Amino acid sequence: MEGKILGILVYLVGIFYLGYKAWKVTRKPTDYMLAGRQMSPFVLAMSYGATFVSTSAIIGFGGVSGMFGMSMLWLTFLTIFVGVFLAMVVFGKRTRRMGLALNCQTFPELLGRRYRSKFIQQFSGVLIFLFMPVYAAAVLIGICRMLEVAFPMVSYGAWLLVVTALVAMYVVTGGLRAVMYTDAFQGSIMAVMMLILIVTTYTLLGGVGDAHQALTDMAALVPEKLTAGGMNGWTQGPDIKSPIGLTIYTTLVYGVGLGVLAQPQLAVRYMTVPSDRELNRAVAIGGIFILLLTGVAFVVGALSNVVFYERFGEIAITTAGGNFDRIIPMYIDRIMPGWFSGLFLVAMFAAAMSTMSSQYHVSGTSLARDFLEQHVSIGNGGSSMKLNQLGVIIAVFATLVWAWVLPGNIIARATAFFFGLCAASFLPIYLLGLYWKGMTKIAAKVSMVGGFAASMFWLLFVHLQESAAIGLCQALTGQSSLAAGGEQGSWLWLMQWVDPNVVALPVSMALAVGVSLATRRMESKHLDLCWDGLC
Amino acid sequence: MMMGLGSVEIALAFWLSIGSAVLCVVYGIVNWNNKGAEPGKAVPEEDA
Repeated sequence: MEGKILGILVYLVGIFYLGYKAWKVTRKPTDYMLAGRQMSPFVLAMSYGATFVSTSAIIGFGGVSGMFGMSMLWLTFLTIFVGVFLAMVVFGKRTRRMGLALNCQTFPELLGRRYRSKFIQQFSGVLIFLFMPVYAAAVLIGICRMLEVAFPMVSYGAWLLVVTALVAMYVVTGGLRAVMYTDAFQGSIMAVMMLILIVTTYTLLGGVGDAHQALTDMAALVPEKLTAGGMNGWTQGPDIKSPIGLTIYTTLVYGVGLGVLAQPQLAVRYMTVPSDRELNRAVAIGGIFILLLTGVAFVVGALSNVVFYERFGEIAITTAGGNFDRIIPMYIDRIMPGWFSGLFLVAMFAAAMSTMSSQYHVSGTSLARDFLEQHVSIGNGGSSMKLNQLGVIIAVFATLVWAWVLPGNIIARATAFFFGLCAASFLPIYLLGLYWKGMTKIAAKVSMVGGFAASMFWLLFVHLQESAAIGLCQALTGQSSLAAGGEQGSWLWLMQWVDPNVVALPVSMALAVGVSLATRRMESKHLDLCWDGLC
Repeated sequence: MMMGLGSVEIALAFWLSIGSAVLCVVYGIVNWNNKGAEPGKAVPEEDA
């Protein structure tokens, strides 16, 4: 216990030192919003990765992997190839250059200025402000549940308040510079801990091949309920045409794997570096970092079944009492050495704080810069740091409220929900806005609103997990999902488990292209400005 | 190649994860000093 407290105290000293350092040099709105556009490749890569991978990925998705197996490695592949490589090379460089040419400070502002539309900027800003706190709340819940287990003398509710206050303190005062400095520190801690975790786990099980083989040999132990849902084993992929297969591949792998490209808190980071060189270097650092984080979490999550079975004669989900969010914490607590569990707690604390800090920042600046500043006059015609700080404070409170009301087992689902919503609303107009001069303002508006509407319709009326929980479909049609009436096993019936994005993203993309072809091109003078520095 | 994994689908995901990390490292090293083009600064107009 003393070790855990000491570890956290030392960690907090580091965080507040970096927060103070950032605060001292944060004087202008550009410092607060874009870290002065002067970040190094190491800080960019670690901050990007640490923001992207939070307790959601490690505890939540690691737990999903403990329950459903290594098919989650497809998400690892996408997080590296799409989330780092394509994101920085295909999106990052153009975002940085276009952001600079159009003098943008936020992701909604980039979209708004690219299409010369205040509506796009405000709609994006409000959407991010309203829904980002749900995702942030999932991260907050994850770390507070973990702290509750580690320090049972402090209640869950008290942890919610303490963690919120700690993160809010340096985000409100130091802006994105504080967020990114602390992210880099937090990311380094996470990387070291994950490296120790994977080496220890493989060593415990006699090496890589033997560990995997032991898990493969346990296929017969998959609970009957999961087998009926389409699962075949922890190292075998699930049946695609099954509730589990569709959930894993459409929601977790496709939804999150592609959704990363349109994440505002990640996209804004491309604009924080002075040249493409930093992005190129960050690709190398980020690729390894993300492999260490998601790859290790998903492999260890799945292998925890072997370790738990050898030690206690039961599989991971049984040890965790049926709650997959508890699999990784239980594994760390019961299997790893005592000194590690204390340090891992610090790493998870770091993972949660690094993501939350960015979420607070992007949510607050979306409210302030992209919505409020469009309606109130700022003295010098520029941006107001105070207004953005106020926006961050409001986002912090919104997150706290969500954390209080959201149920358990929510971490992975809430992450997938937000990633999906962003992809459907922003991805087509963001991608085409960077590469296609024929993309028009009307098409951008129709695509963004259409993608959002399609995504929300699927969530409210088809995708069972949300439609049943929200209850609107039940109230209007008498069924928990419109697809529930289909014959069992048919594709119509299976639609209940198909992620909204499978439908909403193609709808949004088709609207963007179709409406652009039917409407007038934007002024070439404006397009030349957008393409300044781009080929 | 299978590394004890129970299906080609999962083994492929395992190797692609490692392969994509290697791709990132190689790309980063090859373009280590490539600064890219720099746009001129301008303040754009906005419509409603």
